[in-house]
Amino acid sequence: MSWKRVCKVTDVPENGLKMFTVDGVALVITNYGSGFRAIPPLCPHMEEPLEESGVIADCALTCTKHLWSWDLSSLAMLGETERPLKTYEIKLENDDVLAFIDKELVYEFEDEDDMADDDFFSKA
Amino acid sequence: MKITVETNSGVFDFDCGAADKLLYAGLARGLTLPYECATGTCGTCRARIMQGAADVDWGEAPGSARLKRDKGDVLMCQTRPTCDCVLRVAAKVAARPDCDTLPQHRTARLDVMRKLTSDVIHFELALSRPMRFEAGQFVVLEVSGVEGGRAYSMVNFGRDVDRLAFVIKQKAGGGFSDWLFRGDAAGRTANVFGPLGRATFDPEEGKNILCIAGGSGIAGMLSIIERAAREGYFRDHTGHVFFGVRTLEDGFYLRELCDHAGQAQGRLEVTLALSHAPAPAAAHPKFPHIRLMEGMVADVARQAMSGRCDNMVGFVAGPPIMVDHALRMLIREARLSPQFVRYDKFA
Repeated sequence: MSWKRVCKVTDVPENGLKMFTVDGVALVITNYGSGFRAIPPLCPHMEEPLEESGVIADCALTCTKHLWSWDLSSLAMLGETERPLKTYEIKLENDDVLAFIDKELVYEFEDEDDMADDDFFSKA
Repeated sequence: MKITVETNSGVFDFDCGAADKLLYAGLARGLTLPYECATGTCGTCRARIMQGAADVDWGEAPGSARLKRDKGDVLMCQTRPTCDCVLRVAAKVAARPDCDTLPQHRTARLDVMRKLTSDVIHFELALSRPMRFEAGQFVVLEVSGVEGGRAYSMVNFGRDVDRLAFVIKQKAGGGFSDWLFRGDAAGRTANVFGPLGRATFDPEEGKNILCIAGGSGIAGMLSIIERAAREGYFRDHTGHVFFGVRTLEDGFYLRELCDHAGQAQGRLEVTLALSHAPAPAAAHPKFPHIRLMEGMVADVARQAMSGRCDNMVGFVAGPPIMVDHALRMLIREARLSPQFVRYDKFA
């Protein structure tokens, strides 16, 4: 895999987020005003689909299901959020948003061995 | 039985009786185990049993939909240990045994029942021993003859009170509400576990208060307004209550809300949002301090609060769809930080 064209810059308005599928990999493009982020489509907390549950305001992405929240500029976890967001590297070329998709990013709850994994607790 | 719980912030031990649920026993000992509804609906109190065995009360609980049962996943609120157990909980947990509102089991007698509308009842419980709780908290009630526990937010507020007041809306096929509406519940005994819930009001935060409630979700808001009023909070802060019901006839606790608004001398605004009927006037015909508006309660709140949400803490309670709608509004349009948004969903 490599750099993949995901969408047009204008496809995702400011403070918006939208899901796309590129070569079978689903990802959400977020536009926080001063930049874009490409993230997996599910909230790392309880697998809520962020395209529906996510809200962006003041540079922060909040999953409105349980109010986990991240600063999209610094990727800092806000409030009581306990797990970081995973992100695909992105770049803008002309009017296009490109993401570097080496492999699909998933959170541990999607891994069959998640909670049985010996180093589960050291993972983000 | 000894329960060991491995968490993202360390390992903790607590004792749990054979009749007790893992979640309740852990919370009663001051562990901040993850939970929201405490009654099987939300799925937040998921744990994996690594060693030991347990019985599950309600295997079909809606909150179990995403559990990996073959790996030992359970909802702690539905699970009773049958021997010593080792659990894993994928969350940060702290031990706060000195908290003065730790939940406990109590028995109580149901002794005041008052019909507020055609399908809403106010009821009270006389507790076996007093309870200290924060405004906005709830308890889980169990009565013999009705399977499982139900969560209800306290309507009243006080320190170390021996009575709790609640409100319940009749729901077709709702075991507990059918039992209450049948009419022979007064004098019966209930088991009470609580207080529970983190959608609480803390006057020390110094924030203006915005409450958005649908139907019986007004319960916790009344507790919050009661506490604020007692402390003279509305001398220095504002309060805004948006109470969603279907029609004018479906409103309840309006006398109490109107009195609070009158006493706050303009610092507390109360709006009744009618979702299924036009507002017949700008103010309620019987309760002049209550404003009437037409629309879904979150939309009404958005319209009325536009540009007025500085230094605000938001409380939301009601049916899940209403709560989701209001939470989006508070974060996207009112620009509240998630840290100052608190909610209860009634499923």
